[in-house]
Amino acid sequence: MGGSTTAVRQAELRALGAAGFRTSSAQRWLDHQFARLAVLPTSAMMLLIFGIPLAFSFYLSFEGWSPEQSLFAGKFAGTANYEDLLTDPQFLASLSVTCIYTAITVATELALGLAIALLLDVDLPLIGLFRTILVVPMMITPIVAALCWKLLLDPDHGVVNYWIGSHIVWLGRPDTALISVMVVNLWQNAPYVAVLLLAGLRSLPSEPVEAAAIDGASAWQVFWHVTLPLLRPYILVALLLRTIFEFRAFDNIYVMTSGGPANATMSLSMFTYLASFVKFDLSLGAAASWMMLVMCLLLCLFFIAVLRRREAL
Amino acid sequence: MAGLHAVGSRRSKLMFAGSVYLGLIGMTAVFLFPLLWVIGLSLKTRLQVFAMPPLFVWQPTLENYAAVLGQADFLQAFVNSLVVSSGAVLLSLCVGVPAAYAFARFPFRGGSFLFFSLLVMRMLPPIAVLVPMYILFSKLGLTTTRFSVVLAYSTFSLPLVVWIMRGFFEDLPRELEESAWVDGASRAAAFRHVVLPLIRPGLVAASILCLQLAWNDFLFSAVLTNNATRTLPVLMAGFSGGDTGTDWGGMTASGVLVILPVLIFSFAAQRHLVAGLSSGAVKG
Repeated sequence: MGGSTTAVRQAELRALGAAGFRTSSAQRWLDHQFARLAVLPTSAMMLLIFGIPLAFSFYLSFEGWSPEQSLFAGKFAGTANYEDLLTDPQFLASLSVTCIYTAITVATELALGLAIALLLDVDLPLIGLFRTILVVPMMITPIVAALCWKLLLDPDHGVVNYWIGSHIVWLGRPDTALISVMVVNLWQNAPYVAVLLLAGLRSLPSEPVEAAAIDGASAWQVFWHVTLPLLRPYILVALLLRTIFEFRAFDNIYVMTSGGPANATMSLSMFTYLASFVKFDLSLGAAASWMMLVMCLLLCLFFIAVLRRREAL
Repeated sequence: MAGLHAVGSRRSKLMFAGSVYLGLIGMTAVFLFPLLWVIGLSLKTRLQVFAMPPLFVWQPTLENYAAVLGQADFLQAFVNSLVVSSGAVLLSLCVGVPAAYAFARFPFRGGSFLFFSLLVMRMLPPIAVLVPMYILFSKLGLTTTRFSVVLAYSTFSLPLVVWIMRGFFEDLPRELEESAWVDGASRAAAFRHVVLPLIRPGLVAASILCLQLAWNDFLFSAVLTNNATRTLPVLMAGFSGGDTGTDWGGMTASGVLVILPVLIFSFAAQRHLVAGLSSGAVKG
């Protein structure tokens, strides 16, 4: 089928060529520049909607600027914005909340995702059905997912409190609020990790596992000493992606707690959002966002370095 | 002895399969329950929603859906979401696909730097881009327009498109275009007439992923749109003003209507994704 399509295409082209494709010097120039021309729109878009705004916010983070002023009318403030941030207990708290949140959420996502992937890797009847059903949470709009959990965790009418038979105000206490916003993302993204790791498990060679089993290794030994090391590149990729995406946590927190109670769920994204679009201190917001950018970039570089070294070995 | 061993291993195999199923059913119950419960809430009357103990069996009603679909606000947001998502998909495909082709076929100076910066773009936290974007867009008079959100989403889906499509182009045998070039076609004509028709599965996969990105986003739309141009997630977030209020039926019904298109698209795409990745059409 595919072959015949190709043949038809080629015949079509030959006809087109016969109809008078001329290799004029203009066309030769176009062909020579083809790659450059093809990436031109992409480069332009990156520069206009990404590069220039980021450069502008870098500039802004060293200014005292308010939205009524024209773009470059701010007053040079040196590193005052950054100093303000680093002495602001709320910012420092949000830094540690983000780190704790990211570490715990990513670790549990990976553990749960790996467990699901291992279950889904067994060849049994109906396994395809489970593979389809279990990925449903990851497709749900995050705002809607957070709202779902807000209803489930409602102190008076929520089904969770009904089941455990007590009256816990989940989103009203600092400790349970943080756990609650974590659970939403765990629910959505453990299946995502499972999909990534399942792809990895399916692509592993079967010989090492068989050899280990013949040598008398127990199922646990095979998993710990054979499967897990082979799976390491996939686990690292999942770790990289999840860390970067949990680091920016916003939607679930915005809907469920808006950073409260007592800043217990104030992620860096939430802090930057509040500073920029609620208090309208956009130069402070720019400074906060540049700190996030640098941290994120360092994270990326670290993971890429780790991945590279794995590949080289 | 050998026979005994065989029986034992058959029994242990059955035990193993049983425990795997048990684990799977447990996982499915845990992961699906929140969604099923919320769908259940959307099919209850206001009295049934707040019944204590919660009702597990009841006569379902569609009154919440009728109420939601009768709201001009909801329909407006639905249209906005549709327009914005399809705009973002179109823009990022038109811009990203030629670039992906160039990356796959014509190594050029600065190419790998450009490709690397695209990846970095995907990794950066959206809020960091949003702050300056908001300022610049408002000075240009773009804020509160749907176009501003389309532009914002395209920056995030562009790297995705380039990444996915480059893979598809690399899998395509180079001889296909070369024979077209030999026959006198320009690079652009060979791309349009030979290459593009063969990578349709890749285009489908890329557009579904971009569509998800745009449809599910909240942050950009919350900041860059107003009441007339807001998308569905922003409308949904309005339900969570401090307390969850009393209209749980309306809220859950709207929620189900928001996630339904994505679910349908993704399941339709699942087939395409697989078909695309294991496409025999490409390899002849």
